[in-house]
Order: sequence, then structure tokens, then C-alpha cells
Amino acid sequence: MYFKIIGEIKDKEVIAVGRSIREISRLRRIYGDKRWRKLKGIATVRLSDNTICNAEIHWYEAHGIGKKEFKIKRIIG
Amino acid sequence: MQQKFVICVKNQGYEVSLERWKVYRVIPDDKAEIHRQIRVIDESGEDYLYPEEYFTPIEIPKPVQKALISTM
Repeated sequence: MYFKIIGEIKDKEVIAVGRSIREISRLRRIYGDKRWRKLKGIATVRLSDNTICNAEIHWYEAHGIGKKEFKIKRIIG
Repeated sequence: MQQKFVICVKNQGYEVSLERWKVYRVIPDDKAEIHRQIRVIDESGEDYLYPEEYFTPIEIPKPVQKALISTM
């Protein structure tokens, strides 16, 4: 992960499940054939240049595998 | 406006979202540049911020750009 999440992820929301995730075949091939969800939330993050800011982050999650590929959708303020 | 494209040279930890050696379209983002990040449309079809070091810029002739964008 190219940034560090500081504290809790807030306002978590499922944005896609299973076949409604466009990259579902890649998810299954690379991490396993599970019931994948794509989620979003807001978190305080530390970027690689040590800037601390709030950001909307997205990630993938499946039972038995956990959370994968946290990525920043947008920096908030 | 000149479209910018990059090749992914590193995707460690993002093997679903990015494919090494694949061309990605850059979305201009001044805020991202300040933090040495780059905004690209990844394998999800959505744009996200990634570290600049994951990519190398490439020049693509304008006639080819339009065709490339239509496949993304």
C-alpha cells in the first residue's frame, strides 16, 4: 500500500458485489474465487510524502481473504 | 487538449487494479502532482491515485490516441 491509514475507516459502504464488480474475473484469478465486495470509506491517511489528509478510499474484501488493494479515489481537503 | 498516457512498470500490491506493461490513460490532477501521485483509469474503469513511480510516461501519436481511448 502506498499510503498508511491512520485510525478508523468511517462511512463504510458497499459499492459493488460479485459480478457487478467490473474486474471480478481478475479478483478471482489473482486472490481466489470468493464472494467479493468492493467498498468505499473515508479515512485519514499518510501519503508517501508524509502529508496527512482525509481521503475517500476504495478496496476489495472477501470472507476468508480479507481486504485487498486499498486505493485513493480522492483527497478531501 | 493533449491526452497523456503512461505504462505501468510496477504494480506490487495492486495486481487486480494495474497490469504491468499495460498502457493507462492519465487524468489531469494538480493536487495529485503536488504529492507525487498520478491519476489513472485503472482496470476497474474508474480513476484512482497511484504513486508516480508505478508508471513511465509514453508519447502516443494523436491518431493512435483516439483509437486507444476507445478501447479503455
